[in-house]
Order: sequence, then structure tokens, then C-alpha cells
Amino acid sequence: MKFIIKRLAYSVFVLVGLSILMFAIARVVPGDPARMALGPRAPEWAVQRLRDEMHLEDPIYVQYYHWVKGAVHGDFGRSLVTRRSVASDIKEFFPASLELALYSGFFMGLMGIALGAVSGWYKNRWIDNAVRILSYIGIITPSFVFAIFFVLIFGHALQILPTIGRIPSSLTPPPRITGMITFDALVTGNLFLCLVGLKHLLLPAISLAMGPLSQEARITRTTMASNLDKDYVAAERSSGLAERTIMFKYLLKPSLIPTISIYALDFAAIIGNAFVVELIFNWPGLSRYGMNAMLQKDLNALVAVVMVYGILFMVVNIIVDLVVGLLDPRIRLGEKSSE
Amino acid sequence: MKKTVRVFLIGLCVVGILFSLGVAGAAERSLTTNWSWPTYIDPAVGSDFSSSTALVNLYDTLVYPDRKGNAQPHVAKSWETSADALTWTFHLRPGIKFHDGTELTAEDVKFSMDRLTTIGEGYGFLFVGKIASSEAPDKATVVFNMKEPFGPFVTTLFRLYILNKDLVMANIKKPGPYGDKGDYGRDYLLTHDAGSGPYRVKEVHLEEYVLMEQNPNYWQPIDPQAPDEFKMIATTEPVTIRTMMSRRELEITDAWQPTESLEALDAIKGVEISKYYPGNEHYFMLHTKKPPTDDIHFRKAMAWAFDYKTEVERIWPDSPQSVGPVTRTLPGHDPTVFQYHRDLDKAREELKKSKYAGQLDKYPVEIHWVSVPADNEKEALLLMSNLADIGIECKVVKVPWMSIVEEMANIETSPNVVGVFVAPHYPEGGSLLESRYKSESVATWEQNEWLQDPKFDQMIEDAIGTVDREERFAKYGKIQHYIVDLCPSLFLFDQVEKHGYQATYIDWPSSGGECIPIMGYNFAARFIKVYPEKRAKLLK
Repeated sequence: MKFIIKRLAYSVFVLVGLSILMFAIARVVPGDPARMALGPRAPEWAVQRLRDEMHLEDPIYVQYYHWVKGAVHGDFGRSLVTRRSVASDIKEFFPASLELALYSGFFMGLMGIALGAVSGWYKNRWIDNAVRILSYIGIITPSFVFAIFFVLIFGHALQILPTIGRIPSSLTPPPRITGMITFDALVTGNLFLCLVGLKHLLLPAISLAMGPLSQEARITRTTMASNLDKDYVAAERSSGLAERTIMFKYLLKPSLIPTISIYALDFAAIIGNAFVVELIFNWPGLSRYGMNAMLQKDLNALVAVVMVYGILFMVVNIIVDLVVGLLDPRIRLGEKSSE
Repeated sequence: MKKTVRVFLIGLCVVGILFSLGVAGAAERSLTTNWSWPTYIDPAVGSDFSSSTALVNLYDTLVYPDRKGNAQPHVAKSWETSADALTWTFHLRPGIKFHDGTELTAEDVKFSMDRLTTIGEGYGFLFVGKIASSEAPDKATVVFNMKEPFGPFVTTLFRLYILNKDLVMANIKKPGPYGDKGDYGRDYLLTHDAGSGPYRVKEVHLEEYVLMEQNPNYWQPIDPQAPDEFKMIATTEPVTIRTMMSRRELEITDAWQPTESLEALDAIKGVEISKYYPGNEHYFMLHTKKPPTDDIHFRKAMAWAFDYKTEVERIWPDSPQSVGPVTRTLPGHDPTVFQYHRDLDKAREELKKSKYAGQLDKYPVEIHWVSVPADNEKEALLLMSNLADIGIECKVVKVPWMSIVEEMANIETSPNVVGVFVAPHYPEGGSLLESRYKSESVATWEQNEWLQDPKFDQMIEDAIGTVDREERFAKYGKIQHYIVDLCPSLFLFDQVEKHGYQATYIDWPSSGGECIPIMGYNFAARFIKVYPEKRAKLLK
């Protein structure tokens, strides 16, 4: 508990630093955001009204003060692009990205660990080499390239999977509970809609997962291969334990510690890096929203999106530290002894 | 092991179910088009291509354009102007109903104009500073009092979308920036309509799509083959567009697909590429107050040196070379205006007359090109190479759009040359002349020339103050000759707009090349016919 409180306290400092940095960077990008939002022909008084509303002509520290004052009350100002409150936008777009990241993360963990474990178990055999080659391809290929390939193969050539949106517009979305369509559909007992949502998620989620899962497969494989040579594995083998028991009970668990640390970072990065994939699949997510905010100098939206990602990274990292501690008691003990 | 096999089989079943899952498509007769977001459906906010398209379908206007851009009666059955052209009176048709069933009256028209000019965004610039007041003396009469005579006023009314006053006022949020009007219904109109148009909003998913359905009680006839639903999706990603077109999930593409993508679309069975000229022109804007382009002979030398043929045949195919500062499809264009062609002898002759002759090395020309679309670079390099032929040195700089806008806001930082597309704000030559060269438009991205010519200002004010159309167009003609004589720009080409469309099962009037030169009106869905049976045949 003390550990969590300490981490949360550090996180507050990091978030404040992040907000100052983003606030300053967003304001040095060239262009008058108010003029850009209203267009070249908008009368000067309309542009000036928007500048006043956003405090754009105040010194930057005054602007930051206004921003912080609003942010602590959950008010991140108005978006210049969507013309409504940034908080409403985040509420609308974040669940779509989170849902995508959750499925992507599930696929990434499942396949990454499975491929890495198989590869490590069959060290230096053909299966290991095949997984290695596939992993390298996965790591060096950006997710949008996979997205384009998948769209062309499953959407254009085979025409068996949808390539756009979260559900067809002919269907009514489920009542909003979390904003994640598959979850909300399931909770409200609409299995059909849940499956349709799942079908729409397949291609974008797998496209996003391909890179990180390759990375996890490599890390799992390397740790497993090195643990295979450890004395305790030889001792378990000599005691007559079944190979499956050795692999799943004694070898895989300690081998997962580095994988899980990387997994957490990859999971948070998935949401941040999803903008091109969201663009290709017309997925109304937060990454795409953030990208548009950046291109159109939507100051309030840009800072808020970065803050959301910052918080997400922190939460995920704290969770990982806890999970790693559960997997390896020595880490927990180390924490205690250092206190 | 058995457990593993069981899990594997269950997984396989789930995947099988997912792949076999069929979902009923959209409405039987639907029309889907794609656009770049945002699409604002609030008439006081939206003014870009996608917003204009949505507004044209959701709202009615006092007048409606014909294929030549002339105003025809619509909600207004007739109108007249006073002798001093300061008062315009419109007589409304009775019995027009909003989507909620209430009657459209003169009070709604007055409210729409007041709201537009108070908010000042979207198409508000067309009326702000021109309208002194609006009145609704009775249910069927609306009067606009002008601050000064404005001849093209009726054509600007294509952009006055009539709102249901009662519905908007019932949905205002207080407090807001507009005093007792609160937010003037801005939040509500982000995702709802308050119109009487042939389509009404069914769903708006921000950054995803706008879905409209046909208004069954529309007061004008709607073709039985017109779509029941009109969907505007928010993506321009070429691979997605190509896939959707091949699956017949998209009927008309956006206008920003790159050449390679259009070629791929053209190769899909049943898909064709439509081409029309919406009235936009592409210019090299020359800074007339900065050396060496401040010298008229230097500018003329540039005009003679440029290779227009390569520009329109190789770099921007299908776009004809412009004839002067007004595009040929825009009413008021003068076809007798002088058109430059590449002639190096004449270029050298002009250069000799320039005050910079003999010292060209001291005055390099700075050419800035906007990073998107990529073809801008090719034409900047072409100009550099053409000018090198007559001894002019150039510096070519790639600049993001936001930086260009910032540069052009200041006379010192504006470059010698920048290539920019400009669209008319109302369908008349006067619009381009006004926004391109009037002193009021300096420091905006629509004018890098910094012309600031009092004679021109006086001429254009006189022209747009003329109510008689023929007389006004004659004045536009004189202005076009005057501008070409000053040579403040290189008039490159009239932009062609290209869309991929499903020629087999939709009948789109604008696909033939004859278009309404007003943004959005070519996508009035009630004039587009959709044949689902032909689509089904194509999918077999």
C-alpha cells in the first residue's frame, strides 16, 4: 500500500511536468489557432472573441493558470475542431481506443507468450527459427503496413471482414455503459451486437498487436531459453516431473517477468500509436482525435490527450510493478528491504 | 491434451461464427460518400466542402442555384430590390414545413440571418458588414437592409440556411457567449439539425459519420430513385476507399484521392472517374512589394518564362490553363483576357526592361511551396528551372500550410512566390477578384500579392455594388484585363475536381462534367438516383 501511495505521489509530479511541457510546446507551433479555427474570412471580432475566450493573448503562465484551474474541475476547455468541451470528446473517443487496445493487448499477450514459449522450448530447432524470422518481420514492420495488408487481403480480395467503423450504421449501438461496444452489448445481453463488434475489431486489433507481440515473443523466448539451462530445471527433470509441468509451472512463470514489463509499456503505447490504424479503419478513437488536434493546432485537445496518455502510462506501470512483485517474491522483498 | 484440443475447437467455432456473421446492410437505397472530418451541420459554423454538402441536404435556402450558378426561386417565390439597392424584399412560399412539422416563416429567416451574423463563423463573412438589419414585417415577407449596395447579394443567399427558430431557442444552453441567447444553440446543432431540407439527421458520430434519412414530407418533389439514406463517412484513406468501392459500400469518393488511387479506382469494374470544374483556380502569387517581384517587367518575364504546357499536361493533368484571374466556369469570366504562354525571347525582353537587369544574382527569387499536395513541389521546381533559363536564380523552400499562413500574414515575411489554390465564396467572378486582390484581403492566405492598389479597390467596389447582372459582369471583365496588365500572379490552371463513382448503379447529374459552381450543391442527394438492383447484380 505504501508502495502504491509513493508511486502515485511521484506520478503527480511527472504529470505536472508533462502538462507544463505540452502546454509550452503546443503554443510554440506556428499559426494563430483562433484564426485557423474560424478561417481566413471570419471577421476579426469573431476571431478576437475566440482568442479572448481561450486567453490566447495572455502571458503563457496566465494561460497555464486558467488551464490548471479548469483541469482540476475536469474542464479542459473547448476543442477548436469539434467545437465542444474537450472532456466530452475524451469521454466519447477514449473508450473506442481503449476497447481496441484491450483486444489488441489480449491478442498480443496470448500470441506473444505462446510463440515465445514454443520458440524457447524448441530452442535452435526449425520452429524456433521460423518464429524468429516472423518476429523480426513483425518488429520492423509498422502497424499501418499490416493494416493496409489486412484491408487488402480480408477486405478487398476475400471480402470476409469489415474494414470500417465499430459496427454497421444499420445497427443501433448498445446503451452506453462503458462506451466499449462489445462490453456494453454483452452486459445488456445483446450477443449478436457483441459478435458484430468483435468482427469489426479483428483487423485493427491484430494490426496493432503484430509489432509488440513479435517483441514479446522474442523476449519470452530469450528468457526461457536461458532459464532452460538453469540448475533448477535440470533438478526438476531428474526428479521425474512431466515436461509440461516443468514448462508451465516452473519455467514459464519466472520467464515472464521481463515480458510483462515490456507488455505493459507496449499496451500503453498501442493507444498512443494507433492513429494511423484508426485512420485506415475509420475508428473514432482518441489517437486519431489527438492527431487531428495536433494538425489543426487544437491547443486544449492536444494537451488533454497527452495528459490522458500520461495517466494511462502511469497506471499501467504501477499495475506492472504489482504483477511483477506477485510473480517474483524476491522483488517484493527487495522493495521492503530498501525501505 | 484433450483440454487443449477443446479450447482450440471452441476458438475455431468463435472465429467461424464471426466470419459467417451477416449484417443487414444500410437502407435499400442508400448513398455513401466519404469526406475529411470535420463535418459541421450547424449553418453558422460549417463552410468547408463536407459541411457545405451536409447543409445543402439538411436545410432550405431562399434561392437555389441552377447549373450555371444563377439564383432561382426556392423558399422565396419572388424578390425585389429598392431603387438605391439598399433594401431587398423576399416573398416566401406558404406551407413549407420544418422536419418537426412546424411552419417555416419570415421570422425563421430573420433569426437565421441574425444568428449567422452574430456568431460570425462559417459563411457569416458573406453577410457581416453588409447587412445593416433584417425584418420580418409579416409571416411571408422578409426584408434585408444593406449598409451599401451589393449586387451579388442574391447569390450569397445560397449560403443562408434557414433554421427553425423555436427549435433552436428551445435548445440553447445558458450561460453562453451570446448574452440572453446563451450558446445560441451551438451545442445542440453539432449533432442535430433544425432544418426543412430534403434530408434530416438520423445519426451523427463525431469523427466517424453523419447519417441522414429522406424527409418524407419534403415540399418539393424528390425523385423516386433518390437515396432513402445519405451517409457521409469521415475518411479519405486511399486503401480504405479503394476497398469500400470494390465492395460497393461507397458510391462517390472524396475529391482528394491521389492520381495513383484514382487509377486504381478506375480499374474497378463499374467505377468511373467524374471530372468537373468547380470554379477554383491555382495561382503563383507574386509579392508585388518585395524585390525583385515588385518590378512589373520582372513579373512579366516570369509569366513568359513559365512552361504552362508541362504544368497542365504532366503535373496537373486534366486541368486547363487559366485565362486570367477568374476561372472559365465562373459566371462573370471574361474569355478575351490575355493568356501567357512560354516564350523565352519575350521573357528576356521584359527582363531587360526590369530595374533588376544586370544584377539578377543579387536578387534571388524565393519560391515557397506548400507541403501538401506533393505535386506542389514539382511545379515549384519547374518554375525554378524555367527561370534559370533566363538567368534568374531561385531558392525553393518547402513550407507546411500553417507556416505559410503565418508568413503571409506579414508583408516582410511573405515570400516572392507561393503556389495556392483559391475557391470563390459566391458563384461570381467578383468573389475571386475581391478575395484575391482587394486591399482588405492582404495578410490572409488568399493574397500574397500585397497589391494594395486604390484603383483596383475602387473598380471592384463599383462592380460589386452594381445590381444589374450584365452591367456588373461587364465591369468584372474590365477588372480582369486590368489585373492581367499588372501581372501580380501567374494564372496557372482551373482546378479539376475528380471523384470515383459507381457509374453502374448511380446516376449522378454532375458526373457528366456540367456542375453547379457552388461547393456542396453537386451533392444534393435528392437529384442523385440509386439503383439497388443493379448494385446487387454487380455483387453477384
